[in-house]
Amino acid sequence: MAYAYLFKYIIIGDTGVGKSCLLLQFTDKRFQPVHDLTIGVEFGARMITIDGKQIKLQIWDTAGQESFRSITRSYYRGAAGALLVYDITRRDTFNHLTTWLEDARQHSNSNMVIMLIGNKSDLESRREVKKEEGEAFAREHGLIFMETSAKTASNVEEAFINTAKEIYEKIQEGVFDINNEANGIKIGPQHAATNSTLSGSQGGQQAGGGCC
Amino acid sequence: MATDNRINFWRKSAKVPGSIQPVYGAQHPPLDPRIQHTFPKDTPKANSLKTKKASSFHEFARSTNDAWDIDDEEDEDFAPCHPATLPPTPHSTSHAPPPPPPSQPADSNGDPRSPGQLDVAAAELRLRPEEDTAGGQVNGRVVVKSSSEALLNTNTARSTLQKQQSLPVRPIIPLVARISDQNSSGAPTMTVRDKSRLDKFKYLLSCPNTDLEELRKHSWSGIPREVRPITWRLLSGYLPANMERREQVLKRKRDEYFGFIEQYYHSRTDETYRDTYRQIHIDIPRTNPLIPLFQQPTVQEVFERILFIWAIRHPASGYVQGINDLVTPFFVVFLSEFVEEDVENFDVASLPLDTQRNIEADSFWCMTKLLDGIQDNYTFAQPGIQNKVKALEELVSRIDEDIHNYFKRNEVEYLQFAFRWMNNLLMRELPLRCTIRLWDTYQVTLTPPLYSTPLGHIPGDINTSTVQYASGTHTR
Repeated sequence: MAYAYLFKYIIIGDTGVGKSCLLLQFTDKRFQPVHDLTIGVEFGARMITIDGKQIKLQIWDTAGQESFRSITRSYYRGAAGALLVYDITRRDTFNHLTTWLEDARQHSNSNMVIMLIGNKSDLESRREVKKEEGEAFAREHGLIFMETSAKTASNVEEAFINTAKEIYEKIQEGVFDINNEANGIKIGPQHAATNSTLSGSQGGQQAGGGCC
Repeated sequence: MATDNRINFWRKSAKVPGSIQPVYGAQHPPLDPRIQHTFPKDTPKANSLKTKKASSFHEFARSTNDAWDIDDEEDEDFAPCHPATLPPTPHSTSHAPPPPPPSQPADSNGDPRSPGQLDVAAAELRLRPEEDTAGGQVNGRVVVKSSSEALLNTNTARSTLQKQQSLPVRPIIPLVARISDQNSSGAPTMTVRDKSRLDKFKYLLSCPNTDLEELRKHSWSGIPREVRPITWRLLSGYLPANMERREQVLKRKRDEYFGFIEQYYHSRTDETYRDTYRQIHIDIPRTNPLIPLFQQPTVQEVFERILFIWAIRHPASGYVQGINDLVTPFFVVFLSEFVEEDVENFDVASLPLDTQRNIEADSFWCMTKLLDGIQDNYTFAQPGIQNKVKALEELVSRIDEDIHNYFKRNEVEYLQFAFRWMNNLLMRELPLRCTIRLWDTYQVTLTPPLYSTPLGHIPGDINTSTVQYASGTHTR
């Protein structure tokens, strides 16, 4: 399928917070309460539209267990966006955010857009982390924030799409070097030619938006 | 020395014999001569790149298509024992789906482990006849077939992205049906050869001192279901070869296991072990999630105990996700001793408590033995897996340069797809029936644990030498 851009995402966070469920909800619009646990990495993809442009999201869903951390790190490379997920019903998953963030910042490119997600918002009665706490953490670390429910699909689309919008804006602003695939952005096949001529004369910091 | 030579051979020889020759030792079906013609023997590299790219992997895939064939005869070891009783079966070919059952001439005495055999997967995955002729398992065939196609599709990689549009990656049907191989209902029609194989096993198992070497030799090409539980116990080194000591050892080990439970299981709520237990606890419902058997509280508790005790006794790695999958084959095989009807729906709580406990303890010990040989798969940074994935990459780069280059071009790293293969010993990639069959072969090389890889466990020079080669570069 033709697309203007491809963004690579990575989903990270503690084990059992609902990373795979978020992905499944986003790509398949369904919720599977009991599913296989993720080993290593799994993939999903979906096309979205931003500003009238087709954007393909290629999403890497990672295993959350600590033991896999050294393997997971290699997946950060070349991601344009990250969804950092915690479970609002489990305080410890929120407490581990700092470690995750450090890891992400250290192993990804500095422009990676990180969306903080408090998942399982449907389980209000079991809530251990207030929404305000999530917001505060996000503000403090310069992240976008949303509470979602992979079960009811609440805010799931928004989480993925808002992250993409943020990346798209950064491209427009010329923050991302779209010709360097290490940034997790690929120009779609039919756009490649126009883009490369444009940026060829202006070096790395070229805004991709100019072409379309 | 011989090993050295072999390593050097694999290291140096750019042309891997298996990729060129249609290798089919005793484990391999005769190839369709039409395929043979089109094998890319010394095809010039530069020209017809496109055609070649399209052809070589597919030819290989087609040539191994019958890996999923179920009526295939593979065990040649017994041929010499009862030559007279084995009627030769006609040669047939098998590459059109659904493949007609290919058979080897029964009286062929070819070396079953000819060096350079390549379609290891084919050899290993082929199912024993009695497993599939069993009544009511007709759909097993369909399932297996589709699963094989799924594998091929994945490997073709051309359509990777389209394929990735949706989760889950695992097909659903095989999950449900994959277990049925251990069902004993629907008495399978035994061929003369099956019968003689079984007799041979029974004979070996009834000797006062089981000849483990012989047992290994025969198990390599698959263990008859009926004798699989005891054979697995013997091969893993859990059960002694000496018949007289068996009862006593079993009792001692089972008591020992429940001693651990008594002594340590309550500590799961302690500060030290709370995280370990919690992880296991949330993973168990996600283990074989679509098979009713594994959703039973009784079974989930068994798995929790086994994994928790194993984890605290192996602090170097602790519990790592994926190990939970390794209990399953043992549990199913040992449970099958007591189950007449379909295992996947069997109510384990209906068994006498003693029986339940024995299954649990035996599963624990056999899993422990298996893990002893591959613990570096699960220690910090998982060096065992990293090395095995490297070995796999090395192997593929020789066997199928095209697919290897394709991966490189598209920046597909082997770790991205092969990590789970190694981490879960293919438990996620194959129907359980196939995994169990594959593990027959693992167990053969398990004791002593020479080669600690899912690939390395498969006898056959190509794998062992590659693994030895890889372990030579082992850095930790």
